[in-house]
Amino acid sequence: MTIKQPVRHIIILLIIYIAFSNSLRAEVNDNTVEFPVIKLQNALLTLMKEPKKFNFKERYKNIEPIIKSLFNNTLISKVILGRHWKTLNDEEKIEFIGLIERLTISNYAKNFRSFSGEEFNIISILPMKKNRFMVKTELSYKQNNEIVTFDYIVQKDNEKWKIISVIANGINDLSIKRAEYAATIKNKSYKLLITNLKNKLDMLAN
Amino acid sequence: MLKNSLYTKKILSCYIVVIFFTLSSCTSLPKNKHATDSYDYIESLNRNSYGFNEKLDTYFMKPIANFYTETTPKTLRTGINNFFSNISYLNVIMNDFLQGKFEQGVNDSIRFIFNSTLGIGGIFDVATTDLKLEKNYEDFGQTLATWGVSKGRYIYLPMLGPNTSRNLPNYIPVVLLNPFLYLSTPIVVSTSVLSMLNKRSNLIEASNMRDEIAVDPYIFTREAYLQKREHLIWDGDLPLTETEDMFDIEEN
Repeated sequence: MTIKQPVRHIIILLIIYIAFSNSLRAEVNDNTVEFPVIKLQNALLTLMKEPKKFNFKERYKNIEPIIKSLFNNTLISKVILGRHWKTLNDEEKIEFIGLIERLTISNYAKNFRSFSGEEFNIISILPMKKNRFMVKTELSYKQNNEIVTFDYIVQKDNEKWKIISVIANGINDLSIKRAEYAATIKNKSYKLLITNLKNKLDMLAN
Repeated sequence: MLKNSLYTKKILSCYIVVIFFTLSSCTSLPKNKHATDSYDYIESLNRNSYGFNEKLDTYFMKPIANFYTETTPKTLRTGINNFFSNISYLNVIMNDFLQGKFEQGVNDSIRFIFNSTLGIGGIFDVATTDLKLEKNYEDFGQTLATWGVSKGRYIYLPMLGPNTSRNLPNYIPVVLLNPFLYLSTPIVVSTSVLSMLNKRSNLIEASNMRDEIAVDPYIFTREAYLQKREHLIWDGDLPLTETEDMFDIEEN
């Protein structure tokens, strides 16, 4: 049985369409656990490759939307402040979330500023309690055969996977901030913590 | 004969110190394992030592380390770093075997032999580049942890920096397995100075980053140090319980 020429063309076109649409979907599928990690790492590589003439403000502006969309900054802020979170009013909560967000963006803008063939690789994805996952990755520096591990904890927030913690070479940024901020509130005051955070942001920007 | 008995006395006193710190680590500790500051019994004293070290670093160590980094070519600095890393590898090998990591111990021995010979005293890390042998980080503090000794107390030492009572005995093999110890005093002094300079210059980026983001640099250093130690003890595969609990507490 032979298929007529026009029908054959339609079938071929259909196969190409399905294959192409699937590959496209694979690239932008934001429903996978590793999606925010891959997106962040791609954004960081782009940031590292940016021309050196780009100043802090330009780099900040470029990475800002990515960080805002990939991190669950409300949960991060809540975990960092621990018991103290409940004592804040809505205005203070919004201010604190904003500061944490700006601190994260500033850190990335300041520290990921040169590229010499680094590569990010996903090593494994480990299930945690309550539908959280740990995405283990490695950043390899080809120049000196060095490897830095980056482990990301991700959790769903409004049907989207978001990063809630980053652990670099075993050091958890969230636990450090939690301990530091708790000590500052205990030994000094919450007000002073906010002032210090604002000073840190100014320092990072200059 | 007299030299031998002095040497035996030195080793014996070292072991007494080890036993003392090991036993002090075994004493009862708070049950709240999530609050790392519960290990910081002598925080005010530690903060004083921290303040002293910071001043020493700001006015002395950091400027010298910056000068060294700016004036010494990177290839030469890498060679110096490799050299000191190779010398300290005898301690890594000993602790591989003490922890029962026999395959790793054999690989690390091969690594040490190749770097010491073909790598010209360890200046070139041929074991990593040519043999693809992984570099490992083991010490006596990690060995004591694998033997079940608890973390003990957090101690911040003047000149030496962050430590725990479990990790303190590590200074004994570090000193005794340093080949320079058995050479003349000028060699011991000059290599120690160069080694300190190399260590400080390796930390320039990390310390700058800490200064940029830390609200309480003392707590930042303590937490980062304790977490890094745990990471090394578990060879990078730390149980997820503590991190999970941190989120669970906030959800409830």
